[in-house]
Amino acid sequence: MKDRSNIQLPSTAVPPDGGKHPRGMADLKEKISVRDLCFYYGESMALKHISLPIYEKTVTAFIGPSGCGKSTLLRTLNRMYDLYPKQRASGEVLLDGHNILAGGQDLNLLRARIGMVFQKPTPFPMSIYENIAFGIRLYEKISRAEMDERVEDALKRTALWDEVKDKLHSSGMSLSGGQQQRLCIARTIAVRPQVILLDEPTSALDPISTAKIEELIYQLKADYTIVIVTHNMQQAARVADFTAFMYLGELGEYGSTDQIFTKPKEKRTEDYITGRFG
Amino acid sequence: MSATQTSSRYKRRKVYHYLAMALAFIATGMGLLALAWILGTLLWKGFGSLSWDVFSQMTPPPGESGGLLNAIYGSLVQTILATLVGTPIGIAAGTYMAEYGRNTKLTTTVRFINDILLSAPSIVVGLFVYEIMVAPMGHFSAWAGVAALSILILPVVVRTTEDMLLLVPDSLREAASALGAPRYLVIRKVCYGAAKAGLMTGVLLAVARISGETAPLLFTSLNNQFWSTDMNAPMANLPVVIFQFALSPYPDWQKLAWVGALIITLTVLTLNILARTLISTRKQQN
Amino acid sequence: MNPAQNTAGIYTADRKVLARNSLKDSFARYLTKSAAVLVLLLLGGVIFALIEGSLPAIKQYGFGFITTERWNPVTEIFGAKAPIYGTVVTSLIAMLIAVPVGIGIAVFITELCPRWLKQPISTAIELLAGIPSIIYGIWGLFILAPLLQRYIQPALIATFEGVPVLEGLFSGPPYGIGILTAGLILSIMVLPFITSITRDVFETVPPMLKESAYGLGCTTWEVVRHVVLPYTRTGVIGGMMLGLGRALGETMAVTFVIGNAHKIGSSLLAPGTTISASIANEFTEADGELYTSSLIALGLILFVITFIVLAAARLMLLRLDKKAGK
Repeated sequence: MKDRSNIQLPSTAVPPDGGKHPRGMADLKEKISVRDLCFYYGESMALKHISLPIYEKTVTAFIGPSGCGKSTLLRTLNRMYDLYPKQRASGEVLLDGHNILAGGQDLNLLRARIGMVFQKPTPFPMSIYENIAFGIRLYEKISRAEMDERVEDALKRTALWDEVKDKLHSSGMSLSGGQQQRLCIARTIAVRPQVILLDEPTSALDPISTAKIEELIYQLKADYTIVIVTHNMQQAARVADFTAFMYLGELGEYGSTDQIFTKPKEKRTEDYITGRFG
Repeated sequence: MSATQTSSRYKRRKVYHYLAMALAFIATGMGLLALAWILGTLLWKGFGSLSWDVFSQMTPPPGESGGLLNAIYGSLVQTILATLVGTPIGIAAGTYMAEYGRNTKLTTTVRFINDILLSAPSIVVGLFVYEIMVAPMGHFSAWAGVAALSILILPVVVRTTEDMLLLVPDSLREAASALGAPRYLVIRKVCYGAAKAGLMTGVLLAVARISGETAPLLFTSLNNQFWSTDMNAPMANLPVVIFQFALSPYPDWQKLAWVGALIITLTVLTLNILARTLISTRKQQN
Repeated sequence: MNPAQNTAGIYTADRKVLARNSLKDSFARYLTKSAAVLVLLLLGGVIFALIEGSLPAIKQYGFGFITTERWNPVTEIFGAKAPIYGTVVTSLIAMLIAVPVGIGIAVFITELCPRWLKQPISTAIELLAGIPSIIYGIWGLFILAPLLQRYIQPALIATFEGVPVLEGLFSGPPYGIGILTAGLILSIMVLPFITSITRDVFETVPPMLKESAYGLGCTTWEVVRHVVLPYTRTGVIGGMMLGLGRALGETMAVTFVIGNAHKIGSSLLAPGTTISASIANEFTEADGELYTSSLIALGLILFVITFIVLAAARLMLLRLDKKAGK
């Protein structure tokens, strides 16, 4: 919690609906608005009437004890749940004002706009180069040279270029865990999404790799809207501008990270943050 | 309970234990002995008569020497064509079961039926093809043989395809979907890629299974003593030739039957072992 | 690259790309679905073709087809009793030998065998399943049958002489080929199926369960007898049924060594026939609708029997899978 020197966080407690932000609150635009969202696995209700904003070009963290629904909430933002039967959501998730939960969506296009990185690295069974080119090729027809450039750019942005430039055509699985995860992030940003969802992206990694990814998140914030689920409260404190505390499928508390961590309004939030449960 | 009682009881238990373990040991010995005996006989009898003629001459009339060229050719052609027909259908069906239609009623039913087809008597498949192809067409043909072998290959491929695709972690599918890939691309580029070794294994096992099949060919492609490449005519094939030659009273024919048996067995076992190594290298990777 | 440049690519992805994607996707879905349906249709087709083909025989003989022993192509009187008897008896002999041996091997592999030997032995036993059935036939005819004729069968006849029941089962001249020989060959052929399934289900026993039995001071045999076998009973029976299904339908190996006689002999040493051997031997030579139809009716009977056995086997294995939480 102390190591926040390199990340500028809101200095004063701000309620979600106003206050100061590094770039000035006036700039803050709601990229995604979650409104009265409920989620069901079959009959059981996993999310209960969630409403919160996600601001453009900020990092929003979802924290909470395991099973609280933070990953579920993340997975509704790109409708990943649609891959499975018997999972459904009600309410609204507005992306730039359009409800993505409404029918008639092209889910593939939606997911191309909202990238996602998972808990465990998921390199595809193909070369490092192809791992990145795969996503680009889905919606863009570009020349070989342009593709090379895009791949290199994505790898450079994730600080992976120097490590892999000599073995672009060997399997993505040959990389170390931390490298694999950065490859997955590279793959995601290569598609040029607007929002990036990170589902506990460092939980399977060692501390050094974790630090690299956190650094990366901080840099990516300049261009992307980032939502991160984490079980590591220090991580949330280090990287996030806003934090949502989830508890038993409900939104316990939402606010600027500073406010949540220093002056939580709810007793439960305070208990969780100070380690009294969780 | 006195000490002596305990120890005598314990001794009796020990005796049972050693007896049972000895029997298990003997059983294993018997299984291994059977394998060694059969393979040994084949090598012994088959290698003796193996010569270049086998691969360059046609099957001979009784009392003359010759080879197995037309039978080997027929077996190769029919096996390859059956693989080309059966594999894509099998992979498609397995893909539906593991990907598009996972947990649907159709999938459960198909899996059940497929498992039964997998062990169903192959001779019944021969009868079926006879009824739908040979009888209406009025003559035996290599195509009918191909049809019968395709039906036999299908359930093996369906089963392994489904199994291998189910081993691909869902997180990989989600990751590909998260990039915006439509489902068919997720399957083709990611799932097939990850399950490649397993799918190959399935096909190899299926090929191994049909390359030794005899019963369904008896009344589909029948046999042909001469060189024939006409798929609409009867075609020679190794298993049926072995069957006829082995049961004949002519020593020349019997010798050729042993050679044929050796060739088939070596082929099938090589395919089997190849399939196994594919699977085990896959396991090491993961 | 800043998002201001994000105008290319996906944000302008035109409707055509999306439409093509969704078209391809539904095409792939229906293509694979129809392949799956084809598997169902095949089974349906097999049953239908068999019933259709056997109608003339069914009309002619009715239920009597199953209870008649006579099989005379000249007078066109056909009865399935002898082949059915042969099929059932050879399969029973095979099970009688293969089940204990198969379980023995599975026990050896899972409980006794040093780790490094596990895989080689399993593979060797499974290779038995890879050997084509015609190889078993030719081996049985030229190697096993003479051996039985010369040594084993005379010994059996001598041993059981005067013993009630058994005397009848092992009587008559030692032909070498016959029901017993076919049963023996079948037992080797189904051994790998029984072994590998039994081994697999043995390995589903939670180690904790076994360890707690060992903790009580049980011997390995007692653990197998009182923990492993009861726990895996359905699975082992399922594996046995699967082996039985194989034995019932096996054709070529049996055709070589059964002797092909449409007779029900009281002795196991006598030649006989099985359903599949009759079909393999006679089908291409059968002339006349009734002869062909009777052979197809035999095929139908075989299919129905194996279907029931295999279905039962699958259901049992399925139940075990559920228990293991797969």
